[in-house]
Amino acid sequence: MEILKYIFKRILQTIPLLIIVSLISFFIIRLSPVDPLAELRLNPSVSKETLEKETQRLGLDKPIIIQYGKWAKSFIKGDLGITSNGEQVSTKLKERIPNTLLLTVVVIFLTWAAGIPLGILAALKWKTPFDRILTVLTSVGMAIPSFFFAVLLLIFAVRTGWFPVGGLTSANFADMGFFSQVKDIAHHLFLPVIVLFTISLAGLQRQMRANMLDVLDSDYVKFARAKGLNEFKVVYKHALRNAVNPLITLLGFEFAGLLSGAALTEYVFQYPGLGRLILEAVLKSDINLVMASLMMGAIMLILGNLIADILLIITDPRIRVKS
Amino acid sequence: MKRVMYVILILVLVLGLLKACIRRDIPDTNTEKAVTTREQKIIFPEDRKTVTIKGADYLESQAPIGKFGGTFTASTIGEGPKTFNPFNSKDNISSAMSEIMYDGLLTTHPVTGQPIPKLAKSFSISENGKEYTINLRHGIKWSDGKPITADDVVFTWRDIILAGLGNTSIRDSIVIDGKLPTVHKIDDYTVKFVTPEPFAPFIRMLSSPIAPKHIFEPAVKKGAQYFETFLSTNTKPKDLVISGAFKLKEYVPAQRVVYERNPNYYIINKNGDKLPYLDRLVYLIVGDLNNEVLKFEAKELDTINLQGSKVARYKAMEPHSDFTIHNLGPNTGTIYLAMNLNNRKNNDGKFYVPPKKQAWFNDINFRKAVDYAVDRKNIVLNIANGIGEPLFTAESLNSIFLNTNLKPYDKDLNKSRELLKKSGFYWDKQGRLYDKFNNRVEFDMLTNAGNTEREAIGVMIKQDLEDLGMKVNFKPIEFNSLVNKLVNTLHWDMVIMGFTGSPLEPNGGKNVMMSDGTLHVYNMRLEKDKNSPRYDFEKKIDEMFIKGALATKFEDRKKYYDEYQKIIYDEKPFVYIYSPTVIVAIRDKFKNIFPTSLGGVTYNIEEIYICESPEKCYSELISESKNQ
Amino acid sequence: MKEVLRQLLKDKFARLALIVLGLIYLALFFADFLAPYTKDFSDRTMAYVPPSKIFTIDENGKFSRPYTYNYIREFDQNTLEMTYKLDRSQKYYLKFFSQGQPYKFLGLIPMKRHLVTVAPEGRLFLLGTDINGRDVFSRLLFGGRISMTIGFLALFVLFPIGLLYGGISGYLGGKVDTVMMRFAEAVMSVPSFYLLIILASILPSGMTSIQRFILIVVILALIGWASFARVVRGMVLSIKNQEFVQAAKSIGQSRLGIIVKHILPQTTSFVIVAMTLSVPSYILSESGLSFLGLGIQQPDASWGNMLKEAQEFTNIIYRPWLLTPGFLIFVAVLAFNLIGDTIRDVLDPKSRVR
Repeated sequence: MEILKYIFKRILQTIPLLIIVSLISFFIIRLSPVDPLAELRLNPSVSKETLEKETQRLGLDKPIIIQYGKWAKSFIKGDLGITSNGEQVSTKLKERIPNTLLLTVVVIFLTWAAGIPLGILAALKWKTPFDRILTVLTSVGMAIPSFFFAVLLLIFAVRTGWFPVGGLTSANFADMGFFSQVKDIAHHLFLPVIVLFTISLAGLQRQMRANMLDVLDSDYVKFARAKGLNEFKVVYKHALRNAVNPLITLLGFEFAGLLSGAALTEYVFQYPGLGRLILEAVLKSDINLVMASLMMGAIMLILGNLIADILLIITDPRIRVKS
Repeated sequence: MKRVMYVILILVLVLGLLKACIRRDIPDTNTEKAVTTREQKIIFPEDRKTVTIKGADYLESQAPIGKFGGTFTASTIGEGPKTFNPFNSKDNISSAMSEIMYDGLLTTHPVTGQPIPKLAKSFSISENGKEYTINLRHGIKWSDGKPITADDVVFTWRDIILAGLGNTSIRDSIVIDGKLPTVHKIDDYTVKFVTPEPFAPFIRMLSSPIAPKHIFEPAVKKGAQYFETFLSTNTKPKDLVISGAFKLKEYVPAQRVVYERNPNYYIINKNGDKLPYLDRLVYLIVGDLNNEVLKFEAKELDTINLQGSKVARYKAMEPHSDFTIHNLGPNTGTIYLAMNLNNRKNNDGKFYVPPKKQAWFNDINFRKAVDYAVDRKNIVLNIANGIGEPLFTAESLNSIFLNTNLKPYDKDLNKSRELLKKSGFYWDKQGRLYDKFNNRVEFDMLTNAGNTEREAIGVMIKQDLEDLGMKVNFKPIEFNSLVNKLVNTLHWDMVIMGFTGSPLEPNGGKNVMMSDGTLHVYNMRLEKDKNSPRYDFEKKIDEMFIKGALATKFEDRKKYYDEYQKIIYDEKPFVYIYSPTVIVAIRDKFKNIFPTSLGGVTYNIEEIYICESPEKCYSELISESKNQ
Repeated sequence: MKEVLRQLLKDKFARLALIVLGLIYLALFFADFLAPYTKDFSDRTMAYVPPSKIFTIDENGKFSRPYTYNYIREFDQNTLEMTYKLDRSQKYYLKFFSQGQPYKFLGLIPMKRHLVTVAPEGRLFLLGTDINGRDVFSRLLFGGRISMTIGFLALFVLFPIGLLYGGISGYLGGKVDTVMMRFAEAVMSVPSFYLLIILASILPSGMTSIQRFILIVVILALIGWASFARVVRGMVLSIKNQEFVQAAKSIGQSRLGIIVKHILPQTTSFVIVAMTLSVPSYILSESGLSFLGLGIQQPDASWGNMLKEAQEFTNIIYRPWLLTPGFLIFVAVLAFNLIGDTIRDVLDPKSRVR
């Protein structure tokens, strides 16, 4: 019951947050001199009448504040509006979100699977050459500009013919059996996942290392050691649990961070994800689409944090629900 | 021990550096690369003709008979189609993707560019140039088996196009003095169009798609708003009823569009088998040129348009590869430089272009001086890697209306200086250019950021103009903001942009060329300025366009359009720079490829078939024909 | 502080990183002198020329002063290929410390001397040229000035804002704190890369390159201040109840005075760690922006916008010299990371800053 109340309260708190986010985004976008109809205007075969119709449809002839009001009203009703091309924003997002979720979940899973053990190892071997070299190696991954790395990997794919060049599925995907479909997707995901994995691994590994050092230094670990428990037990039973807890908080941020960080990678790999969609929408100033995606990103982040907090309460009985 | 290691390491480094510094100058032995060109002479098949089999008027392909089966994978750059309704499409990709499925009454002859019948059996134009009679084919069917009749044609024209549903661009382009053409059903297989005045461009409009009445009518009845969403990209492929060679099978957003063959198609081969040969047509949606190349290289694509330095790479690979390169000549794209000739004031009473700059840009000598400073030759060599042609005319180089009397010339800075001197410009000791009112000549030059080619052109032109003593502030800006400047705020000096024109119909460019056009870039008139005074040459161009559209004979029209090109050539409101050349690579296994400048490579997609190894499929073909 | 430096020099990787960064910044500082050409010098007949070949043994097999040949570019109509041949009719000897193109050292002192040049008709392209026939080596040096300073400048804008904002919010507490933190959280909730490109795409177009540079710095700063402010606030919360703050309060110092003079200095070590760790991310952000064409614009150079040319497949295969900016970004970012790691380990081994 306590938890439910807490969740309810947290959700209430996010409402003003979302309003501020939407206000900031909307005004920044509308401040821009970018014309959402530019592409149409520059097409010699599109007539004036068509252009006027589009302007009215998008409400571009009204003051910003009214545009915002209109947008907010329909957003609350669940209507995300239409893109500058006349497609439903909601269907566009629906097409892309599963793909992005897939990529993000795989990347997060892999970074956690690799980052946490590496972090623990580094912490246990603190100040040894092993720790140092591990840090350097992960730094190398962090230092390559993601788009550059992605371009290089694409060239590698072409040269060797081992991997498909971008996309998510092959042309004959619909005719495949289930297992070949899974294999096909995995094949396509490989390179983008590598790029995102190398980039996000370093952060997680460092975080885990820092947490672990923190915990290993704490009184109760010292106490456990003093009690003569064997080192393995100390590390894996007492220290680890407490070191992982703070990471759960990170999950929410990591999720939103990937949404943002994956944009260039998705762009280079032609991955049909949210990142590429938003990128293209922003460049075209497709306001409804950008707004919806940004709100989506914000909601994902807030939701991620909320889930993380709830998980924390459940896993860590020491944290009491604070009012 | 450690120290020894360091010493050795440093020694190795030093030696390595020394080695790098010492290089012997050995003259190259001349290795002339043996160029093996695989120039195959393309023998175009005869024109298609109509044959009647069991009461059905089929269109018989005269191309060699091929084998059935297989997939052809092409690509489309950008975001993919926005709709599969050919009457709603507002962008090129949506049009292309939907027009695969809907044939028009007429089409364009791939070699001569003349209109020829397609869905129509034949057509005729009355003596006075106002009446177009179309005879339809008997016994041909929509993909669901219903016959294609005059009702479909009349419905499409009267209730969709002329009623102004969806994208109204076709309708808007055939309004003559506020009046629209009319369409009449004569009998089930004859339709007559009547234009209020003789209007030559109308014939091209007859290649617009024809919609199946029994599918579209319910949507049309629900009103314009519903029609906007009709046959959107979310439509189930089985709900589409089509007349074209291929029918949508699957659309995967941001990845691909897959088509399958239409078993009811009305084009047959010489054996009487229904085309197309291919089972499947796939368009991969790729984000940019670069990804397209990579996909071709990885053999995921069967054909690709090549630009710049890629051509050389593929040309070198061609002899020992599985594709052939076709040079289709200059494309319809024109890259140009324009100066803002606007001499009006905005709503705040300020000039769009400051008066001193107006004086420069409105001075024909100044414009010509700029023109002579443009180094088209090196632009083509550097930026297009030699794969392009310098451009001097408003019509693109493959246009059937191209004025061939307008001669090219080279960059000539001395001529530029002379022209500037003539208009009273002078140079100070540092070589800076001033006008006769002692104003330093300085202006902004814009182009769209992110387009490497245009940015590079800008850098070159900036240098040339600075050699003339002008100060040019070159600013690549974001595409959409640039367009906003060009057509809304009108606050700009000089711009480098590109258009794609039509090689068949100059009237398609009237939005650019006519003084009240929506894309009359060099002197854009907003609504409030629609009646502002025109320059003399603007008036003349307007006149040529009006006359050109109303004339009916090609020769007459050519005269008017030649004249408009000459005016632009002389007055230089647009300084044309170059046209890229279209170079297409296509895998050898595809046969019946007859590339043309006007049609490209896949205009005859229904005739294209796959033959993996020549010996095998020829022998098969021979045995097949023996059996018959 | 001394301790930090000592540790940095002790660590092998950090020492190497320091040396590399030192060399890079030194080269950028003397860019005008080291570069054979100015930023905008271009020879359009020399587009995409490979790096100049420098010979030290002449055609007769004798040692000679180093010299080079010009390239001649030819377009082969048959193969549609651009070929580059050495023009062996004229040797150009490398001249050290001699007169070349005029420039203003550091934008102030007019000079003509370059480290190495050739005669005016000769061309010395140490790393080849780009699409406009501009010397890649020279542009790397000038572009580096932008790429390598933009991160620092952004930090100098961002830190005062973040420190003050976090300081005020944490010190005052209550409603002010709630409102200020909600706002900061809202800014953080907008996915940063998109906020970055939206902001970059609304930059007015009629700007000089310097204005554009400054605005990009400001934009980068706008993205980063919120999370920084939040951490500062957390630290301030724990500091503000300590005795020395209470003491300052009791002698009647103003609130702002307390925040600036007493509380914020306590966060120094955190600030240093955060700074060194965030410089590389700004360098990467700038390159990403320029890659999309929204950052530094032609004809100005930055490593990001130079790397844009390396997007193209054919460029990567045939003109590998165009990849050098990517390599330099990598080296610089790596060096910053290594130094950051060491500093963090020294100052604050349990830091949560990433």
